[in-house]
Amino acid sequence: MIKVENLTKRFGRHTAVANATFEVGKGEVVGFLGPNGAGKTTTIRMLTGFLPPSSGAASVDGFDVFRKSIDARRRIGYLPESVPLYRDMRVREYLKFRGQIKGLQGERLRMRMEEVVERCGLQGVRRKMIKTLSKGFRQRVGLADALIHDPPLLVLDEPTNGLDPNQIRSIRNLIKQLGENHTILLSTHILSEVEMICDKIIIIDGGRIMASDTPSNLVNQMRAAGKITVELKADPEKVRAALSQLAHIKKVTNEKSSEGWEHFSVLVQSGTDARERISSLCQENRWPLRSLYRHDSTLEDVFVELTRKD
Amino acid sequence: MRNFFTIFCKELRGFFLSPFGWVVLTLVTIMQGWSMSGAMKALQDAPIPESLVYIVFHMPQFWFYFLVIFPLITMRLFSEEERVGTLETLLTAPVQTWQLVFGKYFATLGFYVILWIPAFIQFQLFSILTDVPAPFSSGSLFGAFLLIFLMGSLFIAIGCLASSLTSSQIIAGVVTTGLLFIHYFLGYLTVIYSDRFAAAPVIRYIASNEHLRYFSKGLIDSRAIVYYLTAAAFFLFLTHHVINRRRWRS
Ligand SMILES: Nc1ncnc2c1ncn2[C@@H]1O[C@H](COP(=O)(O)OP(=O)(O)OP(=O)(O)O)[C@@H](O)[C@H]1O
Ligand SMILES: [Mg+2]
Repeated sequence: MIKVENLTKRFGRHTAVANATFEVGKGEVVGFLGPNGAGKTTTIRMLTGFLPPSSGAASVDGFDVFRKSIDARRRIGYLPESVPLYRDMRVREYLKFRGQIKGLQGERLRMRMEEVVERCGLQGVRRKMIKTLSKGFRQRVGLADALIHDPPLLVLDEPTNGLDPNQIRSIRNLIKQLGENHTILLSTHILSEVEMICDKIIIIDGGRIMASDTPSNLVNQMRAAGKITVELKADPEKVRAALSQLAHIKKVTNEKSSEGWEHFSVLVQSGTDARERISSLCQENRWPLRSLYRHDSTLEDVFVELTRKD
Repeated sequence: MRNFFTIFCKELRGFFLSPFGWVVLTLVTIMQGWSMSGAMKALQDAPIPESLVYIVFHMPQFWFYFLVIFPLITMRLFSEEERVGTLETLLTAPVQTWQLVFGKYFATLGFYVILWIPAFIQFQLFSILTDVPAPFSSGSLFGAFLLIFLMGSLFIAIGCLASSLTSSQIIAGVVTTGLLFIHYFLGYLTVIYSDRFAAAPVIRYIASNEHLRYFSKGLIDSRAIVYYLTAAAFFLFLTHHVINRRRWRS
């Protein structure tokens, strides 16, 4: 559905997106992740034809977004990051205008409006002025606009940004439903959201694509850097020295101590588990051991690992 | 073409759905009425060889309120879309840039034409209310309104360009006002320095005050028509390119 090849965007000397290459298949729901300023919005803007790429190419459903822009745009429902709307229009009027501009008319326009109003839960505010709506409802109006021409591809830039937990939940459920018969590219900062609704994840940082895989694959690869937490009672210096002596240990840090219990976090090498060795070490030294816990790596770990700057 | 029409209708409705459009309409109507009553008074006080139409469009206040109309009605056009971000939703919908530019331009021109309906009615009312045959020929009335339309088509195009260049309405308005006043005062160069400089023929060609002088006598000059329409087309072309510059590869 989306095909991006070596897409690059430079703003003056600053490169916002560098040689991005990825694909999104038909029917996939893809999470597009990255820290602030990573280039998500810029990539999305190039895909939707708002910004021209500096080099490289992208196509939607086989239509080049630059050369066959109008055809590509017909197939995209786009919700921009800031959800721009005409404040002085009523919801109905706005959706009608957007439907017309996207080529709908007559009976079909009326039906589509009915449907998106229903789908996005806008029945109660149809006649309201957009400027009087709360943020949650504005987001829904934006989503309704993206859906109105029934596009096969939805591009949503932080659709749940700034909403309360209930709203986030209902928008997320809506996206989940839409995912059943749409291709969706979803940019977001909420990782749990991605875990819940996405089949695939693309992580971008500093304009470069860092990873593109299913969530479970990414997490499994990350098991790589497993982390173990140890709580025991002993002289921290001795413990650190002893732990560092063990095989496959990458790093030992004494995080804090409370009431005589020392908390250590131990990073181990990929594919190894040092818990047994740590427990026998404690027994040998007669250190009281209170907890020994191995963290499963989460999507958050993956994200931090791939995008941190230190 | 349908997209053009959709945008045209939306923009034209926009003028009447906001209090802003009505304020402009009211102000312009008041100024037109003021010019009219001033002109009638002038006719009453002393015999003047010119027609009522000529005098109305040569009242001292005419150019001032006339030139202020344009920044008011054009400054929002593109700058507001850019500021609010709705330009992004417009340009990512399957709409061609020219449809957008023309839609907005002609809607504004439409509103501008509506602004002149009160003045037209005032002229018609004159003979109905006073029982005196109107002190102007239909030719001079036609000429004056034709020129008003032509100037409008150019000045609105200039306003469109200024509005497309910035996301601030205020700056767009100030730039439009500046350009229009420069254009207006250029026309006066030949009045001040007479014809003794090389560019005088060019200045005469574009001088709106000169055009107004003979159009409101009923003398219609096709060179002026060509000038206004081609210049308007040129500014619209520039506007199109400014909006489209974001589509250029850099
Ligand atoms: N119009 C522009 N002119 C200059 N630089 C820009 C422009 N738009 C974006 N940038 C820069 O490009 C980089 C990527 O920005 P972008 O908005 O794509 O990030 P993002 O991933 O969407 O971030 P966020 O999560 O905060 O929305 C940033 O460094 C930004 O400053
Ligand atoms: Mg962004």
